[in-house]
Parts: sequence; C-alpha cells; structure tokens
Amino acid sequence: MILPGNVIVTEATSIIALPAAPLHVLEIWSNPQAVATRVHKALGFALPAMNHSAGNATISLMRFEPTVWLAEGDASVLADTLGDDGALTAIGGGIVRFRIAGPGWRELLLEGGVFDTSAAAFPVGATAATVIDHVGVRLHVESKDACVAYVPSSYAQSLHHFWDEALPLIGA
Amino acid sequence: MSGPMRTESGEETIPFTFDGTTYQARPGDTLAAALLANGVGLVARSFKYHRPRGIMTAGIEEPNALVTVGTGGRAEPNTRATDVFVYPGMVAQSQNRWPSLSFDVASIFGLAAPALGAGFYYKTFFGPAKHWMLYEGFIRRAAGLGNAPTEPDPDNFSQRAGFCDVLVVGTGPAGLKAALDAAEAGKRVMLVEQDAVPGGSLLRDPDPALDPATMVKRIKALGGEVLLRTTASGYWDHNFLTLTQRLAEPGEVPAHGFAQRLWHVRAGRVVLATGLIERPVPFANNDHPGVMLSQAVRSYVRRWGVLPGKRVVIATNNDDAYLTAAALVEAGAEVVALLDARASGPAAPAGVTVYHDARPYSVAGRKHALRKVTAVIGGSEQSFDADLIAVSGGFVPVSHLHMQAGGKLTWDEAAQAFIPGETPQVCETIGSALSPPAAPAVAPAGKAKKSFVDFQNDVSLADIDLAWQEGYRSVEHLKRYTTLGMATDQGKTSNMVALSRLAEKQGVTVPQAGLTTFRPPFTPVTMGLLAGAGARNAGAHVRRIPLHALHKAHEPIWQPLGYWFRPRAYPVNGEGLAEAALREARTVRTVAGLSDVSTLGKFEVSGPDAAALLELVCATTVGKLAVGRGRYTFMLREDGMVFDDGTVWRLAENRYLLTSSTGGADRMAGHLSYVRNSLRPDLQCSVVNVQEHYAGIALAGPRARAILAALTGAEPPRHMGYAPGTLAGAPVLVLAASYSGERAFEIHVEATHAAAVWHAIETATRAEGGAPYGLEAMELLRIEKGHVVVGGEVDGRSTPHDLGLAGMLSKAGGFIGAAGLTRPALSALNRNNLVGLISLDGPIPEGGMLIKRAGTSPQGHVTAAARRILEGGAIALALLEGGHKRHGEELTVTSPTRGEKARVRVTSPHFYDPAGERYRD
Repeated sequence: MILPGNVIVTEATSIIALPAAPLHVLEIWSNPQAVATRVHKALGFALPAMNHSAGNATISLMRFEPTVWLAEGDASVLADTLGDDGALTAIGGGIVRFRIAGPGWRELLLEGGVFDTSAAAFPVGATAATVIDHVGVRLHVESKDACVAYVPSSYAQSLHHFWDEALPLIGA
Repeated sequence: MSGPMRTESGEETIPFTFDGTTYQARPGDTLAAALLANGVGLVARSFKYHRPRGIMTAGIEEPNALVTVGTGGRAEPNTRATDVFVYPGMVAQSQNRWPSLSFDVASIFGLAAPALGAGFYYKTFFGPAKHWMLYEGFIRRAAGLGNAPTEPDPDNFSQRAGFCDVLVVGTGPAGLKAALDAAEAGKRVMLVEQDAVPGGSLLRDPDPALDPATMVKRIKALGGEVLLRTTASGYWDHNFLTLTQRLAEPGEVPAHGFAQRLWHVRAGRVVLATGLIERPVPFANNDHPGVMLSQAVRSYVRRWGVLPGKRVVIATNNDDAYLTAAALVEAGAEVVALLDARASGPAAPAGVTVYHDARPYSVAGRKHALRKVTAVIGGSEQSFDADLIAVSGGFVPVSHLHMQAGGKLTWDEAAQAFIPGETPQVCETIGSALSPPAAPAVAPAGKAKKSFVDFQNDVSLADIDLAWQEGYRSVEHLKRYTTLGMATDQGKTSNMVALSRLAEKQGVTVPQAGLTTFRPPFTPVTMGLLAGAGARNAGAHVRRIPLHALHKAHEPIWQPLGYWFRPRAYPVNGEGLAEAALREARTVRTVAGLSDVSTLGKFEVSGPDAAALLELVCATTVGKLAVGRGRYTFMLREDGMVFDDGTVWRLAENRYLLTSSTGGADRMAGHLSYVRNSLRPDLQCSVVNVQEHYAGIALAGPRARAILAALTGAEPPRHMGYAPGTLAGAPVLVLAASYSGERAFEIHVEATHAAAVWHAIETATRAEGGAPYGLEAMELLRIEKGHVVVGGEVDGRSTPHDLGLAGMLSKAGGFIGAAGLTRPALSALNRNNLVGLISLDGPIPEGGMLIKRAGTSPQGHVTAAARRILEGGAIALALLEGGHKRHGEELTVTSPTRGEKARVRVTSPHFYDPAGERYRD
C-alpha cells in the first residue's frame, strides 16, 4: 500500500532507519514577522506554528520550540533569507531518522513515552519534542500510518532495540 | 482444615507445587483458593515469632499468606497467595521457616515473646555498646521476610503512557456503571481492576441485573480501555496516576518477555470505586490458620467453589456476616454458631444458631487446622468445635488513593470508619467506600498478648498497650515504635483496629487519635518495574560513539563513562591495561597517537551577540578572539566554583564553537539553555548542541603536525588555531589544541563521515610508528601535564585560584560567578589548592589522604595518580590545604582502607614541559 508522501506501510508495524539527510536547526531571534514573510516568499509556504510542520518537495520545517524549527532537506534557500535575524546550524550528523509505520505506531510510541499519541492529540503534520524511555527525540507525523522519529545517533541502536522488543506488546 | 474442600466437582487441570508437593488447581484459582481446595491450611510463618499462619483474606490485603513464587531470577518473594493466579508449573514456596513449614525451629521465638515486645529493638541499644555487638548478629539474621533472588531477573518491564478523560479504579458494581456511563457519554475511558476478572464484589455477591462481562464488553465497544490485573498503585499531582499491570503472574514466563507494565496515566477525571476491606477481630490466637475474614470465606465459597471449613463459627458486629452464613449453609457447611456482638441482628439462615452479645475469646487447634472456638456470650464462656471461624469486625473504605490525591476523610460513627471526603484534585469516590455497613465498636475479649492486630509484623493489642504505657502518645510514634502498619501490607487490615485501641487508651474518639500518612504504592511494586526496560543497564540506554563498531574491531578494553562506552586501551600481544596504556602514552610522547574524543560537549553559538553570551558563560576573555583562533576556557557556577572547562573557537565573524567535558555535556547544555533563554533572552544569538553532529578525533605527538599536513594537503594551524580543511574527502574542522602536552589537533568531522577520516588518520599514524590510544593513556598524559579533569580536580568545591587558573580570569568581569568569587572566604589561605606530588618511595594511592605524620588530621587528598611516562616514578595530582605555598614540603599519602601509603614531595602540578614548548612548532 502506498500512501501520500510515498510512505510504504505494511500490515505489521515496522521500524526502519532512514538514510542520513541534511538536518539543520533554524533559530530566529529578531524580526520574526519579517523573517516569516521572507521565508514564505522563498519557500512557498509559511513557517509552521508550534508543534506543526510544513514543507515542499525539497525542504520540510518542523517547529519544536518557540523560536526554533528543524529543517530537513536542502536549506540553502532558507539560509539566504535569514540575514542577521537568525541562523542555521547543521545537526544531521548526530541524528538518525526512523520511520515507524503500520497500525501500531501510535501505541508503540506510548511505550516509554510521556505524551498523548492519539490521532486527536497528535494528528498528521504534528510535531513533538519529547522523551522516549528517557531519550530525547523529535517526532513528526508524516501520515496517518507513519511517523518519523529523529533520534540522537548515540541512542539510535539502543532505542531501535527498545522498539523492536516492545513490538510484540502491541500485537504488531 | 480437614481434607479437600471443593463444593462442586470439576476438573483440576493445572498442576503446581507448594513446598515441593504437587497439587492440582482449576483455571481461575488463586494460589490461596487452590491451597484451600487441596486442604492446605498452614501456608506461612509469621515475621517475628514464626507463628503458624494460614489464609485470612481473598484479596490484596492478605497479611499472612506470603509465599515465594517462581524460581531462579524470576522468583518473587512475599507474594500474597491471594493475589497470584495459578498457572501450569507454578512453583510456590513458603518462607521464613527452617527446616520446614511444619517444623520451624525459629518458632521458639514465640517463647521469648515477653522479651520481644514493642520496641525491643530500640531497647537493645540500652547498656554498654558491646552488648549491641552481641545482639546485632542475631537481629540481622532474623530480620527480613523472604529472600530476594540472587540471579538476574530474566524478564523485561514495560513503562507506558496512558491518557483518558475518565479513569475508573475498580470494577465492582459502582465502577462498572461509572465507566459505562462515561463511555456512553463519549468520554475516553480507562477502567482498571487488580483482579483477573471484572466484577469486584459481584464475584462474591452476584446481582442478576449486573453482568460484569457484558458491561466490560460494552465499554470496550465504545472505545474504552479495560485493564485487568492492574493496580492503581500511586495517585500523584495533577491527576497523574501510576498503574501496575501484571502481564504475567509472578514467577511465570511471560509470553513476550515482559513481566509487568508500569502505566503513567494522565486522567481528566478520576473515579475511585475501590470498595471496602473487612476488618479482623482481635481475640486470643486470632492469627491461627482457620481464622478468616467473613467476606473472604464467602468469596471462596461462591467464586471458587471452595469450602474453607466444614464446621464454622461466625463472629460479627454487622449484618454482612449473615450473608456468609447463608453462603456456607448453601454450600453444605455447618454453621455451628453465629456470634453477634450486638443485641440484635437480622434473621439468620435456617439452622444457624445466633448468639447475641457474643464475642470470640480465643481459638485453639493444631498448626494446620482449627479445632475449637471459645466465645464470651453474655459474660459466660462457651466453646464450639469448629475448623473455621469467619470474622467481621466492620469495614474500612479503601481510601488510599483518595488520600494520596490530597483528600480529606470524614468519620462515620455508625460504621466506625473513615469515609473519603473532599479532594483537591478532579477525583471522586463512589460506591460502597462511601457507605460502609454499620458496625458498632466492640471491646475485644481474650488475652491482649495473643490478640494480633498487625499480623505481618506480629503486633498485638498488648504491644499497643505497652507503647502507650511507655509514653508513645502520637499515632505516628506508635506506628514507628511498634512497627504497626509498616509491613508490605501497609496496615490494610490492622490500622483501624489499632487506632481504636489507641483511642480507647487515650480516652478520645478515633478521629481525635489521628491517622498516619497514606503513601504510594498501594500494593508492593517490584524494583524491576520502576527501572523499566533499562533494568539490566542500570536504568539507561548505552550511548554509542559514532565509531563504536570500528573500535570494537580493535577489541579494546571498554570504559563506561556516564552512559557512554569508550575505548580505555587497545591491548596488543596479550598486554594488560597498565602495559597497554603505558605503551600508548609513550607512543604519543615519542611519535603520535590518535584517540576518539567524540563525546566532548560541543555547542555552536551563532549570531551578533554570540560573543556576549560566551563572555557571560566563560570566565575567560572570549570577545577578543580573532577569527581562526581559540583558547582554553572554564565556566563557573554563580558561587564562583569551577564546574566545567573546555575550549572556545571563533569559526567565523559571528560563529563560535564551544567544547566542554564529556561528563558535563548534558549539564552544560542545560546551563547554556538557562543562560540563553532565562538570563539573556534579549541576546541575538543561537546556541545549538552539536555534540553528536561532530565526531572528534585527537591526533597528538611530535609527528602529529606532519601526519595531518600530509592528509589535508595544508599546513595545520598553529597551537590554539583553527582551520577548516578536507580529510579523506570530508570537510573537517581542525582545532590545534592539546590535552596531552604534545603538539596536537582535534579533527572534528560530521559523524556520518567519521569512519573514513579515522581510517585515514590511523593508517597514516601507524605508518609513522604511532597507534591509537585510549582513555587510560590519556589520563597518564594529562596528569603528567597537570591538566585538570572535571570530576577529579574540578570537584565543585574549587575556585579558579585553587586550580591555578586565576590568571586566566577575564579582567573585565561580568561572567557568571564573578560576584561569587569576591566572597572573602574564597581568598582564605588554607583553601585546598591544586598541587603535584612526586613519590619518594612507591606508588601513590589514588584517593589517599595527605597527612603530615601518622595520627594527624588529613590536609588534602590525591585526585589522580599515575607514573611518569618516559622517565618512570610515581606522580600524582592533589588538592592540598594552602598547597600553592607548600611546594617542596614532604608529606605522607595514606589510604587506610587499602592499607597503602607513600612518602611524597609537594611540587607544581606541571611535571612535563611546564613552559609549553612542545606545543609550538
């Protein structure tokens, strides 16, 4: 089954490590409205609100803090729009992306989790900066059947193992 | 008991063992039900006096029937036989007995009961101290109940978050109805039940109008979540509750490897339908096997088809016990007497003789079974042949969760019980807990010494009386002096009986006597459950450095460092740690070595105000750094103490890289966030943790510069310089910094390219005769150079002056800790200062105390000890009172705990190249 966004979903819940991708922290410290306008013009979409995401074919922005977004993809256009009002800092070398897909992904994220992953509280497009079994992770709901977890690379192997062990608990 | 006691024939299909004997159980049997059905009356020995104990209740309040279930690492001691469901192959053992349950040598303690009453433990402290040395061994051997397994627990434990609009605790009639109502109103419902089947009191007293299974099915169909074998064990602030769910029975091999789950539930509203616990009745030998609570007897008869006795006496002060009489009669038992303490009561079942103004006085029998019940009826004693006495002293609402939520209690005089009242949280109690049956106070009959109140801790009425006699008036003091309510059952069956006795002694009402505090957990929680999935890794995941697999191929000795694992040394040709580390360190001193420093804290600070933020965080000057330059720096707490150190590099006009210690990286991240977001949110800058984005490789040694130049095709930066470059096709940051005392570089590269870069450097280094080095060699190198390490010399009590760093402090001030440093006490001459030590004889014991001579007070301690890398001889770093002024002085380092000592001379901490000439080209 192929869902919008090219997410391949199987009948079982799965955890797949994705290839490394350019990831940047975007922080805006001044003139937020002006920056937002410039970004909108440059990227074709508005800066997403807190705990939301937006994107196009080349870049996605996910807002996790009041002044901070995670930029996934080609950030070169974004860099040109910031001027002295913000900065981009590369962090992709320290993050492993996991796609958790399938019918049990929401329940799986409750294992060791602390926040409500139900569809009502965490809809498609939503983002969250949270902890899973004491590990700080960022989450992005990319479709109703899949979520991408951005995990510190030092914890990636352990957390993958943690999820693998927990899968039978959710009947996946 | 007298033989098997099933009321109806059926199939006993589940084999299990108790103390090595194989029995059969029916599906759904608790261990208690199965033991009773098999005629096993003696199940346990009491904690202090080793008195024979049987099964008293049918629920989690059981104080007597504590057993060990399971084997090996899966064994779970102190499991209530009433709260574990039999599964095929279950192995249960009695505990606190030797050599056997029937013949327990320690039951002789019962003869010494007069000397072992309330507070005896405290009285052992009276008299000469040497007496305590005598008592201690006995007390320690006798203390404790059950044995913790010595093997590791093979099972896993889950922790899961849960969210709901309404959380209902308890599946009795009130709980089921509340949950169903909420579900039908469209609410997100969680319903939890500690039993394996829903129904609560309906399992004992069925109501044709209420079918628990149907109601649960309906709740689930409406989207509700129903958790069985789940106990609401803690109620915290903001309607946050912890639930303990058994995914497997104690000792059972879990289906998916997980034995239990700890739920962290945030609920919009909490409904407590937790019901009542029946109160025992104090009389002589009321702890004997065959003395049971009335409702428990009814449960065994109706739910499990087990008749715990054939000739039964019932003793009560309320109407509920009459239902037990009816159940027993229906099941074919003979109720030989119903002793009602009141002057009148409801109609009794046909054939049952009711005695009013009647109270049990004592019971007698063999270890396994009851034979005789003696009662006081209208002032006269009368005995009955009976193998069971079912008692009911009234009911206690289960208000633990209500109280943990911060609730209040109100006193119900008719029921002689505390009822849940107001609560500050969105929580309500419903059902029988709000309306316990009337049960008047009854003065106990029988000898106080043998009338037990707290069965788990062997506390009798006489112990309460003794505590009163010895001046313990407060209920809190009473509790601690007698240990009442302090066992694993937390006084569920004992507290109200004891309070009544205390109130009687004080001549006050029970509410005036007061209550002790209700604390979580409601029932015992295993340590594994609290640790969660990381129980086998000290509660945390292992952090792997980017080159973990690459290092692993070298088969290093690993060093746990916080959550990280780093290579400690790379032994070759059968070397031990010390030999390998010394060889590696010598290689660095003479040729070159490379080491993985990826775990260093690393932060990119960008923006027009980046320097301003760093000058606030760092105690050294930062703003004057030119682009492409860096410097050593350290950070202070607000009290002026050094808490971390590192380097700061100006990568571009408005971009800096700050490094800090591995162990302090998370703390530094928090500190920077605090400074950025709380102290100076006005600054135009961004602080990003790039600790894991960059892998770091240190290249150090006389050949380091040449190796790096060949690899990058560019002249490396001079000491404390920075240059971008390309190495093995990957962009790198080259920072010319040295921790070893040699010309050295840190090469930072995006972690995804780290393997290629390491491989290139290692190949080139080995070609020059160099080799990788680990943490142990790094330690030898830095000690010899006199560099401090966070956690060693930087111990949270040292100022820059103490560590010899005062000369580097920013003259302009304004950094965090600058004000704290002005405190006069921090200028005292006798503060501990960093010094070096050179041994005048043998090795210097690390951690040893510095003394002038034997018998004098310590004047400091050794923070790190090593040997000279090339020259030989023992050296150390130490913190010594007034140490800066004591160079040349001779002292003794002593470690009494290890029996080691050495004579040392105090020196500068810089043993190697104090002028720093080797840094420079």
